[in-house]
Amino acid sequence: MSQAHAASAPTATGIPNGKLGMWLFLASEVMFFTGLIGAYVVLRMSHPAWPGHEGHLSVPIGTINTLILICSSTSIVLALAAAERAAIGAVRGWLALTAVLGSVFLVVKGFEYAAKFSHHILPSTNVFWSCYFALTGFHALHVLGGIVFNLVVLGYTFNPAVWADRRKRLELAGLYWHFVDIVWIFLFPMLYLFN
Amino acid sequence: MSAQASSRLYLAIWGWLAGLMLLGVVLSEMNILPLPTATIVLIVLVLSVIKAALVALYYMHLKMDRRLLVLIALFPLVLIALAVGVVFSSALVKL
Repeated sequence: MSQAHAASAPTATGIPNGKLGMWLFLASEVMFFTGLIGAYVVLRMSHPAWPGHEGHLSVPIGTINTLILICSSTSIVLALAAAERAAIGAVRGWLALTAVLGSVFLVVKGFEYAAKFSHHILPSTNVFWSCYFALTGFHALHVLGGIVFNLVVLGYTFNPAVWADRRKRLELAGLYWHFVDIVWIFLFPMLYLFN
Repeated sequence: MSAQASSRLYLAIWGWLAGLMLLGVVLSEMNILPLPTATIVLIVLVLSVIKAALVALYYMHLKMDRRLLVLIALFPLVLIALAVGVVFSSALVKL
């Protein structure tokens, strides 16, 4: 059986195995970030002197980065819509834009980290910064993974035979990218707005 | 739904996501509502839940997908509710 046939073969659940596997993986990822965010909430509620000005983050920078991730979620879903109408040029454009926006998010995050380090603010500074670097660090690693996934799928589009065989992976890359966006939707207010 | 209509829907969702995010920033940073901080925090968190639901339903297509995927997506939320219940009940109950 060819790979293309295997990918489109009916399954017992009626859902392609790859998609089902991605959703199960995302469910486990929800629990991973729930553990981290739950620890943050418990620490914050039980800490009598939660950092005020010492735990200050730039709201404008956080807002811009959030907008960037929202735009990237839209661009990858537009890539999927383009794939459904077989507009391969548009698929490439939207996927490339998604990877660029994800990279911009990481660069901005890198500047934020560098500014903190230059002020000798480290994960060991206090409990807030421990939580901040752990939460945003793991999220940034997920963004990096998503960018690599998007670029791999973008690479598929340049070979018609490979694209015909693996185009379903664009949907999986999109699911993963939207999950990364959802995590940030919660991290942004918790870290930037509730201080 | 036609490709053009779905693209329009995706752009409309983008507008809602950006608008709700900016509303959360305005509410928490500009003190325009005479409400206690805890209430503002609750409102902003509800806005975040709405944004996450919009992404899951429309961008991740849960609205049109099979029920099994919806159940898989909701199952962690049940576990989260249990974990939150345990944390808060242990904080309230002195053994």
